[in-house]
Amino acid sequence: MSAASHSQAMFFQARATAQVRNAGLQKTLKKVRPLFVAKRAKGVAGLVEDGLDVEQLRSACAAIRRRVVDDLDVWLDIFEERAKASGAEVLWARDGDEVARLVVDIAQRHGVTKAVKSKSMLSEEARLNEALGAAGVRPVETDLGEYIVQIAGETPSHIIAPAVHKTIGEVEALFAKAHERPLQARTSADIPAMAGEARAVLRQHFLSAEMGISGANFLIAESGSAALVTNEGNGRMVTTLPKVHVVITGIEKIVPTLEDFATLMRLLPRSATGQGISNYVSLLTGTRGDNESEGPEKTVFILVDNGRAALAGSDFADMLRCIRCGACMNHCPVYFSLGGHAYGWVYPGPMGSVLTPLYTGIENALDLPHASTGCNQCGSVCPVNIPLPALMHRLREIQSERRLRPWGERLALRGWGWLAVRPTLYRWVARQVARYLRWLADDSGRIRVFGLAPGWTEGRDLTPPPSKTFHELYAARKRA
Amino acid sequence: MRLALYVTCLVDLMRPAVGFAALRLLEGAGCEVVVPPGQTCCGQPAWSAGNRNLARDLAKKAIAELEPFDYVVLPSGSCADHIRNVYPQLLADDPAWAARAAAAAGRSYELSSFLDEVLHLATVPGEFAGSVTYHDSCKGLRGLGIKRQPRALLAKVRGLALAEMQDCEECCGFGGAFAVRFGEVSTAIVDRKCEAIAASGADAVVGGDLGCLLNIEGRLRRRGDTKTQVLHLAEVLAGTEPA
Repeated sequence: MSAASHSQAMFFQARATAQVRNAGLQKTLKKVRPLFVAKRAKGVAGLVEDGLDVEQLRSACAAIRRRVVDDLDVWLDIFEERAKASGAEVLWARDGDEVARLVVDIAQRHGVTKAVKSKSMLSEEARLNEALGAAGVRPVETDLGEYIVQIAGETPSHIIAPAVHKTIGEVEALFAKAHERPLQARTSADIPAMAGEARAVLRQHFLSAEMGISGANFLIAESGSAALVTNEGNGRMVTTLPKVHVVITGIEKIVPTLEDFATLMRLLPRSATGQGISNYVSLLTGTRGDNESEGPEKTVFILVDNGRAALAGSDFADMLRCIRCGACMNHCPVYFSLGGHAYGWVYPGPMGSVLTPLYTGIENALDLPHASTGCNQCGSVCPVNIPLPALMHRLREIQSERRLRPWGERLALRGWGWLAVRPTLYRWVARQVARYLRWLADDSGRIRVFGLAPGWTEGRDLTPPPSKTFHELYAARKRA
Repeated sequence: MRLALYVTCLVDLMRPAVGFAALRLLEGAGCEVVVPPGQTCCGQPAWSAGNRNLARDLAKKAIAELEPFDYVVLPSGSCADHIRNVYPQLLADDPAWAARAAAAAGRSYELSSFLDEVLHLATVPGEFAGSVTYHDSCKGLRGLGIKRQPRALLAKVRGLALAEMQDCEECCGFGGAFAVRFGEVSTAIVDRKCEAIAASGADAVVGGDLGCLLNIEGRLRRRGDTKTQVLHLAEVLAGTEPA
């Protein structure tokens, strides 16, 4: 199935409304938002304490990523050559379906019945778990958040905190059912115990799985390695215990050198979780050597396009710099009013409002580029300086150029534009509007229902204007 | 110096007092102020909607009207951002207009930055007995670097105490058409702003953009807060109009 056909992004408006009205979700979001913001602020403050200039660092990180994006084919060739030289296999996938086919094929060739997975958003793009299940391979998510989401039968609502929308009570109910034990009363003090419970279950899967599937935060061209940045340690298990390791990642994830990787690591964990460095940083190169005690017997890289190559050299090339830290959604007022599921596809928040239309079809996600106040809180925290509001704006322009906006909206804009270049007429209409708004006001002097913009008065009053416009009053004053 | 006051379409229609307050401040500082009679809208709504052609037409119209002046002052960070940061890129590939757009951008200022950075205003006529909290509007803050200027000016208002709210740099959820297109989402965002304002204990919330202020005021009133005043910076700085 194509990305477009499983995207729910066309229904953003309806989903957003449902999420805004979901009191439980709202409570959870209200609690976590300040934590994300405070964590990044602390992480960035740490850099300043170390005497580093954050803006310079952002420019340096952006420059590294831009260098890759500008010559993507060259860097991919270098990576492929080095990865193969170190003993890994390198495969290419055009889209999510091809990813699923390749992984299923590898699993079948190696007699795999169970695959443990560490978090990979690309596997969500490919809907890999469904494909594996259909082929008789049991996929087990081992990132705690992904594990919760998997047993709930859901998809991640955040790229680095997949189960951020779940309360402790909800997780307890899921665990009790999945682990076949009685329900217990839980508070936040029980989180370590619940994590321990999941760990005990997952340990058995790590030891019995024949295949490990991971993403990669970066692909290092000079060494042909995958770099993995994790906090729970599950990534290490997934990539070293099973006999086959499959790395699935987008073609844009390359960085030229280990030193470039080190530079990006200054900002990636700090932007994501505020940590100076994540608990685990793994560099995975090739397969298990003759005198090595651990590591897979076979390593396969699947490098995925799924819409990325078309962005290189386009108006949206900036988006390919993204290192998936999640800072944009963590600072987005819209994301934190809705949670991630409203966005309808793999990537939520400002990142998703750009990627979803580009990867699933502009006509399939018409609301997303408009689901932004233009506040640029995202752009101002992005570690690689992606101008997210400008990219959303460009998507709005393309919608307008292709006449994809509703006719009523187009008509209103044209009528307003026609008036705005005719000052005399515009003034006259403005005077009528002022009078009309005053007429709408109720006894308390406020407008509570405004038929022309019902969205406004659903949740807000409108204070009516005085009876005369500025220009009317100004002209009278000048005459006096 | 001779300057144009661009009152903005929203001030013209919804709160003319803001335009007159700006006028008093600028004239009081000795400027010769003209309100160009043909002004309608800077075109930001067209640009935000993605209609580049209409945005260009309105940009050209505004540039032509504003060319005879040494400076252009706008009581809005969002409209000033549009002229300063969007006009040049909008007309960059039009040889007849690129230089004119860049020149207009360089001459245009948001009110508080003009009063503070160009006029170096030493005193303001306004008085305010009570505390105010300042909402940093997004385009002014992140597009033009307006943060210190309004606070420096508010500090000159007799009797006024500044009570900063939590997350004063957080978006209020207005976003132009966004507020109407996604009314409930916008309301959820402005609710957080209203809570921050209430927690600050301020008698008034002050800002530099009427769009944000109408949004905040509308939500405060709907929530039943009839007490907290919602004022444009110009109104606070200029004080009440002499009878």
